[in-house]
Formats: sequence, structure tokens, C-alpha cells
Amino acid sequence: MIQAFRLFRTFGPNVALNNLNFRVRKGEFVFITGPSGAGKTTLLRLIFGAEKPTSGHMLINGINLNRIRRLKLDLLRRDIGFVFQDFKLLPRKTVFENVALALEVTGERPGFIRKKTHQTLRLVGLAEKEKAFPLQISGGEQQRVAIARAIVRDPLILLADEPTGNLDPELTKDIMVLFRSIHMKGTTVIVATHSRELLEDTAQRTIVLNCGRIVEE
Amino acid sequence: MKLRFLIYFIKHAFWNITNNRIVHVIGMGTMIISLLIFGSFLLLFVNLNTWVHGWGHNMSMSVYLEDDIDQSTRDKIAAVIRDFPSTEIERYISKETALKNLRHALGTGAGLLDDMSHNPLPASFEVVLNNMASPETEPKFIVKKLEKIHGVEEVQYSEDWLKRFEGIMNMFGLVGFVIGGLLCVGVVFIMTNTIKLTIYTRKHEIEIQKLVGATDWFIKMPFLLEGAIQGILSGVFSLLVLFSVYLFFAAKKVHLLGLTVLDFIFLPYEHIFLMLFISVGLGLAGSFIAVGRFIAADSFVEI
Repeated sequence: MIQAFRLFRTFGPNVALNNLNFRVRKGEFVFITGPSGAGKTTLLRLIFGAEKPTSGHMLINGINLNRIRRLKLDLLRRDIGFVFQDFKLLPRKTVFENVALALEVTGERPGFIRKKTHQTLRLVGLAEKEKAFPLQISGGEQQRVAIARAIVRDPLILLADEPTGNLDPELTKDIMVLFRSIHMKGTTVIVATHSRELLEDTAQRTIVLNCGRIVEE
Repeated sequence: MKLRFLIYFIKHAFWNITNNRIVHVIGMGTMIISLLIFGSFLLLFVNLNTWVHGWGHNMSMSVYLEDDIDQSTRDKIAAVIRDFPSTEIERYISKETALKNLRHALGTGAGLLDDMSHNPLPASFEVVLNNMASPETEPKFIVKKLEKIHGVEEVQYSEDWLKRFEGIMNMFGLVGFVIGGLLCVGVVFIMTNTIKLTIYTRKHEIEIQKLVGATDWFIKMPFLLEGAIQGILSGVFSLLVLFSVYLFFAAKKVHLLGLTVLDFIFLPYEHIFLMLFISVGLGLAGSFIAVGRFIAADSFVEI
């Protein structure tokens, strides 16, 4: 599903990713961890196609992101859900509208958008809050809205960048349960985190980065 | 394009306009003023053109006859003149009448004519040109036709006067064209900045749309429509103002040099469509430049 070959990413003199080689199979759950500045976010950006590697290749479903056309990349992103630490919700849109946005951009029928959005909000336990605005709900709920938006299109891959970074331990547990249930449905999940607590209770595959290199797997 | 996409784009274009009212009101105001200046030139040009042509068509013409023609040739010439749809013979001036008129005009100096051995003045037809717009009623066309008839010596009408006016008209048109061009550049610049500001206010939303897989055109279309809507609204509004100005002047009898009553006309349909086309084009051009520059690739994706 995801393959990285001799991946380098530099920003001027700084090396963010240094000769990464790895493979993530379909349906895997992988943690990417390491201290701040290890290159976790840069790696997720490369998987998402938000930037290109300085050298090396990143393949998603056999498609080389170095050679993909702009339009195809936009279409590929529809198969990748992204969850951010800061949620990236639109404050002037309701919970429902924030989630529905991911379907609107693909030109789905309004009836389907309504049905699928309700269904996804039920899945993340926010059916009661669909008319609320992001600032009217808690941080944990906001993160669940962001997850709902990322999975509403049933993506093949779900990327999460420090998804529990702003949440307390109780809410963190809830979010991880949600990720596992999404994974159980066959979605490939990659979670980048620097939280040791999150990794203690898990038997999932973990890639440890330090100074842009894989130091442990 | 799918209908639901179109509905989505139009909805978002209006949403952008209502949510950034002040910016759009300023942008539209500038565009309306520019279109008004351009439209005023156009309206004035159209009216001047009509007046000049109207005066040209209403002029009289003198058809001078050769001295040695007989009555039947003269009748034939009169028949040809009457055959034109826009000409009417006001009167026939014989050689003798012409001399009498000259004597009358010279007054006390008429004695100068006494020494002449023969009457040098030609007989003529005084012809009135009616105001009828068709190529066959153009004074130039009539003059050419008449000068070819046997027995006609010369045809005179105030061509120089008309040519001078046409020269002024051409200069006026050129000035209008240059000013219009400069205004267009200014309007495009203002539109670009207006749309740029709207893009900035929606920066966060654009970023998220890109993250969830929206294509560039999906993001750009509402902004392009926004420019077009702003253009058409400005065009319609400026035309309404121009029409009000026209009604104000049309209601008054305007006299030129105390003689001629000027009839005002509004812009013909093709000019109205031209103005609307220009306003939509300017709005689109401005927004096209703005979206091209500011929604490029992943400039908004800040993961």
C-alpha cells in the first residue's frame, strides 16, 4: 500500500528525512514515533503528497507521487483521510457541515451526503451534536469531528498527526479506541505521535524516527 | 459540469459576496464609476454621431446645370433627383433668377454686374435631403450619381463641414478608447485585489478543501463566478444610472445655437451588450488573475 525508497527530504542545510526505506501493507496499523523534530510530520506530508521528497520515491498503491499529475493527486487524496493535532475544523460551519465538506468536494448527491454524514457522526458518537459549532463542543469532541471528516469517505489510508496531543488521558483512550475500530474495518492507519503512554499499551507495529532516520522498528 | 456542482459554486459565490460585503461594495463601486465614465463616453459618442449624421442627411444640396441644356434634359435631371428616396426638389433657380438673387445680395454693389457681356451664373436645382438612414440616401452616394448625369455641371453640399465634424468624432472616439482601456486595466487590478482579499478570508476553508481532495477548479470556480457576478451587477447598475441620466436629458428640449433641437437616444442594444460583456469580462479577468496566483498548487496546505 505505502512504499518508501531511499527517501530524503532536506530544508536548506537541515535534513528532515535521511534515507528512509519502509513498507506499510494494506490494513496495517502503524505508529510513527520519535522526539519533536524527528521528521514524523514531514513523513506524513510526503505520504499525503503535500510535498515531494528531495530524492527517493514514495509510492501509494503503486503510484509514484513524484510523477503524479496535480489532478490525480487531488483524486488520490480522496482515498486518504488526515487527522490533525489542531483538528482544522471550520468554526463558522456546524459539526455536520464540517464532516459533509469532505463529500461535497467530490460532487456526491445531497441525499447521499446527508445519509453518510449522519452515519459517520453516529459512529464517532456525535449524532446529538451535529448542529453545534466546533467552538461549542469539547476538545475531544472536536477531534472526533475531525476523525469523522477523515473517514466519511471510507478512505483506504488514515493518517493522524499527533491526534491526541491536545487531549487528556481519558479522551486519548477514547480516540485510540475509535482508531482501532476504523482499523478493524480494513483501513490502513498510520498514527504519528511522540506520546510514550500511547505506545505502552499497544502491540502495533511502531517505526521510531530520530533525526530523520529510522532507528528502531 | 454537473448541475449540483454549479449550484454549489453559485451558492458559494454569493456566500463569499455577502460575507465580504464591504470589500465587494468598494470593488463594485470602483467598477461602476469606471463603467459609468466609459458608458458616458459611449453615450455621448453615439448621440454626437447621430446628430452629425442627422444634420448631414437634412442638408440641402445645389445641383448646377450646364448652360446649353434643353428643357427635356432638365426634366430628365429633375426626374432622376426625384427618384432618390430621400431627395426632394425645393425649387428650380434659372440663370436669370440666380443673377437677380446675386444682384439683391450685392445690394449697392450690384452695378458691378452691369458691365458683364453675358450671365455667368448656372441654373440650378435646390435639393433638400430628408433624414432617412440607408446607404442609398447617403449624400456622398447621391452626389456621385448626380454628377454622372448628362447636363449636370457640379453638385455642391457642405461636405467640408461634415468632414470636420467626422474628424472631431474620430478624435473623440480615440480619446474614449484610450480612457476606456486605461479604466479597464484599473478595474482588473481592483478586481484582482478584491478577489484576493476574499481568498484570504477563506484561506482556512480552502486549505481544508484541498486536504479533503478538492480539485483546483472546484476551489477556483466560486471565485471566478464571484468576479463574473460582481461584473454583471456593476454593469447592470452603471447602465441603470446611465439610463436615468439619459431620461433626464431626453425629457428636456436641448437647443444648439438657438436653432436645432437635439433628440437624445440611449445606447443601442449592441452597445448595451458590449458594456455588459466588458463588465463580466473585467470581473472574470480580475478573479482569474487572483485565483491563478493565490490558489496555486499546495500554497494553502499547511499541515
